[in-house]
Amino acid sequence: MKPQGREVYLWLMGGSAGSFNPIRSFLHQMPYHSDVAIVLCLHRLRSPRMGMIDAIGYLKGWEMSEPDDKTVIQGGHVYIAPADYHLLVEAEGYFSLSVEEPVHFSRPSIDVLLESVVRARWKRAGAALLSGANRDGAYGMYLMHQAGYFTAVQEPSDAEIPTMPEAALNLFEPRVRFRRESLVKVCLQALTLSV
Amino acid sequence: MLADLLPEVSDAELEQFRQIMLTQYGLDFSGYAPASLKRRLGSVMKKYGLPTLALLNHRLLTQPEYIKYFINEITVSTTELFRDPPAWVALRLQALSFFSSLAEIRIWHVGASTGEEVLSMAILLQESNLYERAQIYATDIDEVSLEKAQSARYPIRLKRLYKQNFHQVFPTIPFEKYVQEEGNELVFDKTLLKNVRFLKHNIVTEAPFEEFEIILCRNLLIYFTPALQDLVVTKLVESLVTGGILMIGTKESLFWCTAAKRLAAINDVERIYRKRR
Repeated sequence: MKPQGREVYLWLMGGSAGSFNPIRSFLHQMPYHSDVAIVLCLHRLRSPRMGMIDAIGYLKGWEMSEPDDKTVIQGGHVYIAPADYHLLVEAEGYFSLSVEEPVHFSRPSIDVLLESVVRARWKRAGAALLSGANRDGAYGMYLMHQAGYFTAVQEPSDAEIPTMPEAALNLFEPRVRFRRESLVKVCLQALTLSV
Repeated sequence: MLADLLPEVSDAELEQFRQIMLTQYGLDFSGYAPASLKRRLGSVMKKYGLPTLALLNHRLLTQPEYIKYFINEITVSTTELFRDPPAWVALRLQALSFFSSLAEIRIWHVGASTGEEVLSMAILLQESNLYERAQIYATDIDEVSLEKAQSARYPIRLKRLYKQNFHQVFPTIPFEKYVQEEGNELVFDKTLLKNVRFLKHNIVTEAPFEEFEIILCRNLLIYFTPALQDLVVTKLVESLVTGGILMIGTKESLFWCTAAKRLAAINDVERIYRKRR
């Protein structure tokens, strides 16, 4: 049986404009890990339901879904924050959704997701922040960093729109700055360090 | 350093908060999902410049007049006219006809907030020629939101979204049939609220008060733990007549609810269920 709940390593990825293609190619190259859940929090249009799963396409090994409220977190799974809801992680090992106000005009908000991971004192987690046109995610990444989690921020010069990674780098120096082609290596490094 | 960034909500202070709410105000927060509750408390603390939850607890103990506003701040009042339009289309096409032969249709909006879904339902009934037979109850623990709901007035900035949602449900009916602009506000036709009763009611601690043909409880369960979801959904199912309809939020699930076995899905995607015979 796959690990679930608090035993799972959470690899959290946040991004907005310009992040979809690097994340998509990361997902297609990332080797399957049964004890890792990849959680994507990407700014997106309000209305589409499930469209992102089709846009990412089939992933070898990994299951992919937009979690319902109180879905138990399972390893070997890619979770996509549903449109128009904040996605939060609960210490008990499942997701919660919320429709509270957008943060930085964003729902889902990367800050809200990352803050919930810190508050839940999740055992093993790491986060990467990619290209985007606003400041969402910077504060959450800083929280993750301060709480001792692995953090990685895309080099602004490599980001299609550098506002989001720059906002994070203005707050702190992450463990790693990366270029898109090394994202898989960065994730594997985070996993190695967490053992 | 982390504590400077993130208002600390320790487990001990959170427990004290729950005790105060229960013993002083009869409000039970023990079944609220911690992630969003801590976040809401954190934002209230930030707003009032209170560095610890202990200080907010003190305020709640010493300023009882503050509770009405605190409840408004701690609860999430986000809603919209015809939120998730496909769900309303499904309700209209797949469920309303069950009740067209009844002399009375009783409807309960649980967690009615600022009332946009109550108006959505009223319009749906009006357009189905069922409104005159409807008795609609709209309940919430947040009095401030219920006051807004009763005014049926909303900021004009919501017009574009509300009109867009409306036309997804009713492509050929003019939005202006039900809504007028007055200054900076959208004003809904007050006759839509003719058969609506707004009541302060706490679904967590209070018993249901009627039997209903239709219950809408959308995006309220998400703030509860699985155990409390189970309890609340049991209450809702017990309040439904046989064959009655329960509609929850499109990303809410009955996975944790034992009462789910007494429901059959009418539309699993839009989360519309019918109580089994």
